[in-house]
Amino acid sequence: MSLPPLLVQTAGSLAAILALPGLAWWLKLGGAPLLADEAALQSAASEVADGFEVCDFALSRDCTAALVRDSQGRIMIIRRHGNRFAGRILGTGACASVTDAGLSVDCGERRFGPVHLDLDEPQAWAEAINRLSEGLDA
Amino acid sequence: MPEFNPVQYAVPLFVIAVLAEMIWAKFRAPQAYEPKDTLVSLLFGLGSTVAGALLGGFAVWAFFAAYEFRVFDMGPEWWAVWWAWPVCFILDDLKYYWVHRAGHRIRWMWAAHVNHHSSQHYNLSTALRQTWTGPLTFGFLFAVPLVLLGFHPVMIAICGGFNLIYQFWIHTEAIKRMPRWFEAVMNTPSHHRVHHATNPRYLDRNYAGVFIVWDKLFGTFTPEVDDEPIRYGIVKQLGSFNLLWAVFHEWVGMISDILRAPWRHKLSYLLREPGWSHDGSRETSDMIRARWEQRTGRGAALQNSVADQNRIAGAQEAA
Repeated sequence: MSLPPLLVQTAGSLAAILALPGLAWWLKLGGAPLLADEAALQSAASEVADGFEVCDFALSRDCTAALVRDSQGRIMIIRRHGNRFAGRILGTGACASVTDAGLSVDCGERRFGPVHLDLDEPQAWAEAINRLSEGLDA
Repeated sequence: MPEFNPVQYAVPLFVIAVLAEMIWAKFRAPQAYEPKDTLVSLLFGLGSTVAGALLGGFAVWAFFAAYEFRVFDMGPEWWAVWWAWPVCFILDDLKYYWVHRAGHRIRWMWAAHVNHHSSQHYNLSTALRQTWTGPLTFGFLFAVPLVLLGFHPVMIAICGGFNLIYQFWIHTEAIKRMPRWFEAVMNTPSHHRVHHATNPRYLDRNYAGVFIVWDKLFGTFTPEVDDEPIRYGIVKQLGSFNLLWAVFHEWVGMISDILRAPWRHKLSYLLREPGWSHDGSRETSDMIRARWEQRTGRGAALQNSVADQNRIAGAQEAA
């Protein structure tokens, strides 16, 4: 019995596809960068929106997520994604709620998902974010 | 008629090269790889092969139909016309430049091509991050002029296969620069890093496949600068490793924009550049670059340098 070439190629490719990321994991490639200081925050914010100047921020205790604000009052959520960072400028679809663990921020995009920040004083940020959905200045 | 798919033979070499780059990364740049990102990129590659086999039939039919109307006839043994191969390869690369440029400047095409750019990493696995939805665009039409000229569809497919294989090795940070003569003519890791960058200065630049000369000819070339770290990916990073979302996110965005838009703007959401919006609420790559140039003063500096390099008129007279 001979198998169709496309099936053989697909099976071989599938084996390699599972093996290579496994090897990357085994070699400990990737790493887990942190938003360790203001410079790292500024760098991550600039990547999300070119020219975004951080003038105020709240950094999660584990340094994997942050809220930053610029002089125009725009609020951005940044979180670790793999070994890079991704973020969104929050708009009218965003909401935030204070939890036992700190603050939960939803940018309004289901696939981006909620971001949990372990903060000391999350209330002010929650109010500022929730005001966005009311169309008021943060 | 030859039945030969060069990409099929190259797959084992792709795997070995990714392995070698991972070992390089282990010692020099562990952050160059992220296992979850690698898995998604490789699944893109596998899915692309399957999608091409399932959905590519219409394009194949169109090519063979168009071949019946060819201007020049190379005869029944067209594969034996030796000079046709290099000519076809060069013209196919010119075609690649334009289909690739359209892939970045027309949202319908971008909806498919964005898949190749949505990784925030730049390594050899990124090269295999190929679209599943290319057959749902009109990209294949760019090859029709070659068919009408008389190049057999199989010859074009083989040349296209070698073009794809060439482009594999340039997806790496392991090679900084190639020799100057090579950088001048060929697409290289340095030139293609620019293409995958989201830094404003690099957006929508260096569309070349094999020969970088097309970008220089058509005004889209930008060299890599050494003093600015490159950020890879797309302007609005996905922030998700969900494969199906990565495949279809731009299609979902485009279709929902079309459905929501007023009637007179619907077609623009299909055919205008990514980021365009009828109410100006979003930014295109041109707008992002213009804002960056204004903010940094780089625009004036770049214009000055171009003027200096292309002296048509003397200092006293307007050019």
